Amino acid sequence: MAITHAKNAASFVNNEARVNWHSAALLALRDKRDLQAKSVDEWERMREAASQMKLHVLSHLPALLEEFSARCESNGIIVHWARTAMEHNAIVADILQQRGRKKLVKSKSMLTEECHLVPYLEERGIECIETDLGERILQLRGDPPSHIVVPAIHLKKEEIGELFHERLGTEDGASDPTYLTQAARESLRDDFLTADAAMTGVNMAIASEGAFVVCTNEGNADMGAHLPDLHIAVMGMEKIVPDTASAALLMRMLARSAVGQPSTSYNSIFAAPRPGTEIHLVIVDNGRSRRMSDRRHAEIYKCIRCGACINTCPVYRRSGGHSYDYFIPGPIGLAISGDNSEANSEAWACTLCGSCSAICPVKVPLYQTIAYHREQLAHHKHLPYGKNTYMPLVGMVMKSPRRMALAMWLARLGMRLSPKPLLHRLGGGWTKSRDLPPPPRESFEAWYRKHGGVSDGH
Amino acid sequence: MKLSLFVPCLVNHLFPHIAIDTLQVLEKLGHQVSYPRGQTCCGQMMTNSGCIEIAEPAVAALCEALLREPCDAIVAPAASCVFAAKENIERMNLPGEAKALVDKFYELTEFLHDVAPIQRELKPIRRVVSMQMSCHGLRMLGLGTSSELALPPGGNKLHAILSRIPELTITQPARDECCGFGGTFAVDESDISGKMARDKIEQHVATGADAIVGYDPSCMMSLGGVVSRNHVQLEVLHLCALLNQAL
Repeated sequence: MAITHAKNAASFVNNEARVNWHSAALLALRDKRDLQAKSVDEWERMREAASQMKLHVLSHLPALLEEFSARCESNGIIVHWARTAMEHNAIVADILQQRGRKKLVKSKSMLTEECHLVPYLEERGIECIETDLGERILQLRGDPPSHIVVPAIHLKKEEIGELFHERLGTEDGASDPTYLTQAARESLRDDFLTADAAMTGVNMAIASEGAFVVCTNEGNADMGAHLPDLHIAVMGMEKIVPDTASAALLMRMLARSAVGQPSTSYNSIFAAPRPGTEIHLVIVDNGRSRRMSDRRHAEIYKCIRCGACINTCPVYRRSGGHSYDYFIPGPIGLAISGDNSEANSEAWACTLCGSCSAICPVKVPLYQTIAYHREQLAHHKHLPYGKNTYMPLVGMVMKSPRRMALAMWLARLGMRLSPKPLLHRLGGGWTKSRDLPPPPRESFEAWYRKHGGVSDGH
Repeated sequence: MKLSLFVPCLVNHLFPHIAIDTLQVLEKLGHQVSYPRGQTCCGQMMTNSGCIEIAEPAVAALCEALLREPCDAIVAPAASCVFAAKENIERMNLPGEAKALVDKFYELTEFLHDVAPIQRELKPIRRVVSMQMSCHGLRMLGLGTSSELALPPGGNKLHAILSRIPELTITQPARDECCGFGGTFAVDESDISGKMARDKIEQHVATGADAIVGYDPSCMMSLGGVVSRNHVQLEVLHLCALLNQAL
């Protein structure tokens, strides 16, 4: 049987100390973001400008992609187009195999997670090294990311210390972050020097320039791309911006929203290969044009992958990134894929509190899109948690004041007469953490009838 | 003003005192208030789960009831129900006269702040209250400035009204995070929901308040349930209860 988000989250949320720690770590990022956003006087106007700019991109995408790829080609960047994840993987493998390359150093790319690129290449004898520290930790552990910006946020430094002791030979019991980072850096340095190909993602693809921006905090993308003579960059087709000013606007917002820094530490614009080297750029659709064809689903592609919505999401912080079906957790993951989850429950892993939409730097209507998925699923009777059965009954009762009054009279009677332990059983999920309210003697309607429509408030 | 009271299902059947206090407050303030019969529900319980078609007859019944008695404004002591009623009326296949109701809906705080501010002196209440800025009121109805926005602080309508009560000390939790209710979320995702509610209560307790004061009965029902389960020394009050006492 398909497993609901609630079931998937149970083991995480019921370890209260760990949930508190996880939530606090993410709230620390949220607090830093708030400070940074509020230090920019024009922040709210920037959000609106960025939203409008990305809407312009989505409504002019074919022309912008053509402009972008033509300029890339004239700059000497070789452009490839992939309709699906498989095509993307095959293109990357071809580029590497044709040149006899065996070792790829990768910076963080959510697109490669989406396409499952690394296992695909490894099956073909190409070694892939994740060079982002968080991603490297997960690669050594064999864990999927639990967040798109801080992918190993679910791990404590002691757990990383143990892992590094086993895999990198650090001292037993050492968990000092600086010491562990140094060890990872030394081990990665060897990989950088022996790799014969590099891969990066793309944060913004500038149509007017035929150039792309890569932002990291660790400099690992630059270290990778500047050593070997082959750089493969991969991007979802929504990463386009019209011009340099648009890219600059997003660069002012990306790191502030993600981790509360004014800027990422390393921001490189790749505009042309160095003499004697190649840059390949793979532009991927993989379902994007299908989702974009639905007006109410399309705006998710304004997203710049900052993760601010994930950090603020009260459900994510308490359920952990591994509780979701889709590889992107939290509000943006639900907004992308909430119409298509195993138990149809993902779109309900949300209280519709709206914090995500309010924090999003490009105003993706996040909770609204999640609600839209619920509508679509309800329309097709694909509801989770027994709703296919009970929602029509609720509708039958609620459309009639008399039926409603009778049902609630019975409910109040039941609540008054049932002993507490029975109520706890009948209350289901509600009474797991809470008591039911003490039932009043009568409804407001009954009270109003008795008082003849005139209250004693005069 | 001539007002119609919209009493959401939860208030009508489980928290009638909230409707009574609201009615009495509005009457004490000199309004002519009626309660149009035949109201059931704003449809939120269904539409929050995406069941728009199933909810439509209930929303149509609400509109019919409200249309029976002409009024200047429709006031309800429940923010998320007001938001849902407006949203549902707008998106459903309802007659034009029903659509015209949308602009008449006001949540009580909103009404007392934007439309008909309290002119009289209020009686003092000596206690410390912690404001429960529930999400739909805060972010969708704009009863305050939510913490995500880089806007000047202030503009909190609940605070503005409460601060008219002499000797009342007003605090609020450190974060304006969701209390975990979320409609059927509280049942479907009971573990996460329960944890959110306990965390919220902890933050209210940390303010040193002796009561939580809010504008959304559904969130208050959830928080009240946690308070009762864990024997926390906090009263959970609707704004209208304090106002009725102060008028």
